[in-house]
Amino acid sequence: MKILLTAKGTEWDSKMDPRFGRTEFFFIYDEETKKVDTYDNRAIANEAHGAGPKTAQKMSEYNVDILITGNGPGGNAASVVKQTGIKVFVGAGEMTVKEAYEAYKSGELK
Amino acid sequence: MKEIVIISGKGGTGKTSITASFACLGGKDVIVADCDVDAADMHLLMQPDWKKSEDFYSGVLAEIDQEKCIKCGKCADVCRWDAIPVIDNEYIVQPLDCEGCGYCALVCPADAISMDEQNVGKWFLSNVKTGTKMVHAKLGIGAENSGKLVAKVKSEAKALAEKNNKQIILVDGSPGIGCPVVSSLSGASYVVLVTEPSVAGIHDLKRVYELVKKFGIKAGCIINKADINLEKTKDIHAFLKTENIDLISEIPYDENFTKAMTQGKTIVEFDNGKIKQILEDSWKKIKYL
Repeated sequence: MKILLTAKGTEWDSKMDPRFGRTEFFFIYDEETKKVDTYDNRAIANEAHGAGPKTAQKMSEYNVDILITGNGPGGNAASVVKQTGIKVFVGAGEMTVKEAYEAYKSGELK
Repeated sequence: MKEIVIISGKGGTGKTSITASFACLGGKDVIVADCDVDAADMHLLMQPDWKKSEDFYSGVLAEIDQEKCIKCGKCADVCRWDAIPVIDNEYIVQPLDCEGCGYCALVCPADAISMDEQNVGKWFLSNVKTGTKMVHAKLGIGAENSGKLVAKVKSEAKALAEKNNKQIILVDGSPGIGCPVVSSLSGASYVVLVTEPSVAGIHDLKRVYELVKKFGIKAGCIINKADINLEKTKDIHAFLKTENIDLISEIPYDENFTKAMTQGKTIVEFDNGKIKQILEDSWKKIKYL
């Protein structure tokens, strides 16, 4: 499985970013290869509108299976994510990336 | 840290009066964020000192450099908003009509059109009368709220809360269901829906709840002016039950709300009776959730 987490940084110890559309970073973990990839999404702060769909579009380029975030995606981003078939798990907004991944593995996230 | 966002969908339900009351009851424990910036009014009740202010830039508008313009008219042809009329033999962008899409700049063969960021208002960091801090904003005439501005106000509030070790951020959310509301809800831990028993009140409650549901955030509802239409209040009860939304409280219609407002006070500072009690109980419920 390839998993994308919305994060405030690029390390396993980084805090999760509870927001989807305006998340600062993508933290992408490939469970097969055990490789971590990151994407700096901070330029999104300059977008007045449509942050959600833009981030969703970017996410689709990474071919992930799972998205873990705080809450959301809402509004238009939700319909984009639905089209991609990516499974969404929420409720990890207050955790670190590592804690969020572990919580997902143990089935604590919805 | 908890981020409590108060929204209503419909205007005039008493959202800001109730948010400001909670801000008073929360006192020093909360950081206040006013994200209802299209027509910001929470400052009227919170008496901020406007201590720090910063310009806010959002969106772009086209501008034509007349020196470079070769008057080919391609920009006017592609403009979907008819925002580039010819005035005194010059192509001039009308700032009120321009949506900032950039099509004109793309087709201009003379590279005469620039897309410039607009200063649309200011955001403020203030000390308020309740002994805490508030982040708020004021937009210029004709400027619109955006997800960007709401995100800015909220992130400043969050940084303040972290710095001052406050556990609660109280957010006066934006109206409607568009981009600013999406941004208000994103990252929230609990949503308070303020509604009223009217056709529009219920309609907009349902509409905005659709959005809350997508975010998967737990929500509670306050029915304001609950006694003005008992039948509609019953309809709201039924809706809350189906959607599993907590009924936080019901507030009867009371003219003290307006009287307090005209004195620049919140209802909990003005009224010592029933309404104050209801709001105190509501705040306790929300705070300990």
